[in-house]
Amino acid sequence: MDEQPTPRPQRPIEILRARHGGISKELKEYFNERQRLKKAIRAALAEGPRSVPEIARACGIPPPKAMWHVMAMRRYGEVVEAGERDDYVLYALKSKGA
Amino acid sequence: MPYIHDRYDALVIGGGIAGMQAALDLGEQGFDVLLVEKGPSIGGVMVGLNKVFPTLDCSSCICTPRMAESAHHPRIRLQTYTEVQAVRRDGAGFAVELLKKPRYLDETACIGCGECELACPIEVPHEFDYGLGARRAIYIPHGNAIPQKAVLSVEDCVFCGKCEKVCPADCMDFTQLPERVTTMVGAVIVATGLEITPMDAKPHYGRGLIPNVMSPLAMERIQSSNGPYGRVLRPADGKVPRSIAYVQCAGSRDRSIGIPYCSRVCCMYALKQALLLRHYIHDVEVTLYYMDIRAFGKGYEQFYRRALAEGVKVVKGKVGRITELENYDLSLRVELLDEDQRLVERRHELVVLSQGLIPAWHPSAILGIEEADDHFIKAPDLKVAPSVTTVAGTFAAGVAAGPKDIPDAIVEAGDAAMAAANYLAAMGWNGTAARVPVPA
Ligand SMILES: Cc1cc2nc3c(=O)[nH]c(=O)nc-3n(C[C@H](O)[C@H](O)[C@H](O)COP(=O)(O)OP(=O)(O)OC[C@H]3O[C@@H](n4cnc5c(N)ncnc54)[C@H](O)[C@@H]3O)c2cc1C
Repeated sequence: MDEQPTPRPQRPIEILRARHGGISKELKEYFNERQRLKKAIRAALAEGPRSVPEIARACGIPPPKAMWHVMAMRRYGEVVEAGERDDYVLYALKSKGA
Repeated sequence: MPYIHDRYDALVIGGGIAGMQAALDLGEQGFDVLLVEKGPSIGGVMVGLNKVFPTLDCSSCICTPRMAESAHHPRIRLQTYTEVQAVRRDGAGFAVELLKKPRYLDETACIGCGECELACPIEVPHEFDYGLGARRAIYIPHGNAIPQKAVLSVEDCVFCGKCEKVCPADCMDFTQLPERVTTMVGAVIVATGLEITPMDAKPHYGRGLIPNVMSPLAMERIQSSNGPYGRVLRPADGKVPRSIAYVQCAGSRDRSIGIPYCSRVCCMYALKQALLLRHYIHDVEVTLYYMDIRAFGKGYEQFYRRALAEGVKVVKGKVGRITELENYDLSLRVELLDEDQRLVERRHELVVLSQGLIPAWHPSAILGIEEADDHFIKAPDLKVAPSVTTVAGTFAAGVAAGPKDIPDAIVEAGDAAMAAANYLAAMGWNGTAARVPVPA
């Protein structure tokens, strides 16, 4: 008798993914954009501390959008405050090891 | 999941300050209480406020001890992230059906360390910060949350499984499903609290699409030290605002949006926020455009005077329209009521809409409780029994029964607990005999 290949047991996370029909198109797009913007913000800040309008200009996005994404990076410790200029806070990348 | 007993003396729906107070008052009298909260943490609106009028005490500092007490009280069974699906009269009590939403982890095993949140790769707008800040798909609701347990929002999940890999307590359980639970209770207290009128209720105020026109709850978060920006900045571009306007009655006393009543707290929260802004930002100009100031509570008039003395400006005027300018400043068309209805344009860098209060939940479908004309729970005997509803054995507390501040919500919760206790006694509700020992 032929050996039936036993189906690999599904990992729990795969069960969850299947139950929810995978990642929605909107979430995938959102996630990709968020990753892209994080990279762009990092690049903009690599040159030194910047205000939100400056970051927005460097990334080619509207300031309200830049504000949200920079604040999200601040929330999770990737970006820190680095002084103030003309009523705008300057943000910098958190130095490695700090 | 820790089990829910098949019998409680009372069900309290809503874990805000009113629900917690009602549960604690009943628990202290020896009643067994099931406290059900739809969100992942108790605390309601209060735990997200910055400071409270008129004392300017830190809001979460007063709220968190109540939260801890409610969660650890031997006679209170706290059930978060759970919704009430059905309540049916059954003999002397009510048969209750609950739906426990999955957190996708074993709540008893989670140690609240937050490692999962740090590992999660996706940030989305955080409800606790009214969208201004970020959370991850799996997250601890906030720093003061009780219980301090993570919750996975599956809608935001990219199914990478990193949370499971880093969890030191090995508590992730992706196979969890919503769980139906049934129990019996003798009485029900509804304390489901408030929402604020929608940002787009008044189209000429920008329909919620102008970033620098914000809600007062968002402003509470921005002013909080653990808020989304860590300081007061405007959402459009991170500028420190130098001129801030409050538009009073921006969602109350307005028949055109179906809210003719006064929401009772907006004058005071606006004065509070304005006064604090004067403390937080050097030389900031804060102006309240108001119809009349209602400072009715103990110490409130004095607070109003203090705000004026500390430089908060008040202008009797109706704001007709808010327009966004090219640099994200705002132009307000104001009808000056003290100057012959003269129309002027006033420029500000940030605007807060003093939105009114509406009920967060309508219990009529599930509990058969009638609503009053204002859509809050009806008290047929308002003068002498403010927490008694139209359905025997059910009671209302806090903003669920009508707009009010925190002290009034607490007083009313005490009344609801007392009314429920009296009702249980009158019904001969056999609580104590059926009572099972409380698990440690
Ligand atoms: C901007 C602002 C500032 C304020 N500042 C002050 C202040 O400084 N001082 C002051 O005294 N008052 C203040 N207030 C008023 C104060 O917020 C309320 O008085 C208080 O929060 C009312 O408490 P509550 O428990 O009735 O409702 P809530 O705080 O709304 O709590 C209700 C709870 O019930 C839960 N819930 C809702 N529906 C359901 C459901 N179907 N099932 C289960 N659970 C449910 C909610 O998730 C929530 O946890 C302010 C209000 C606003 C809007």
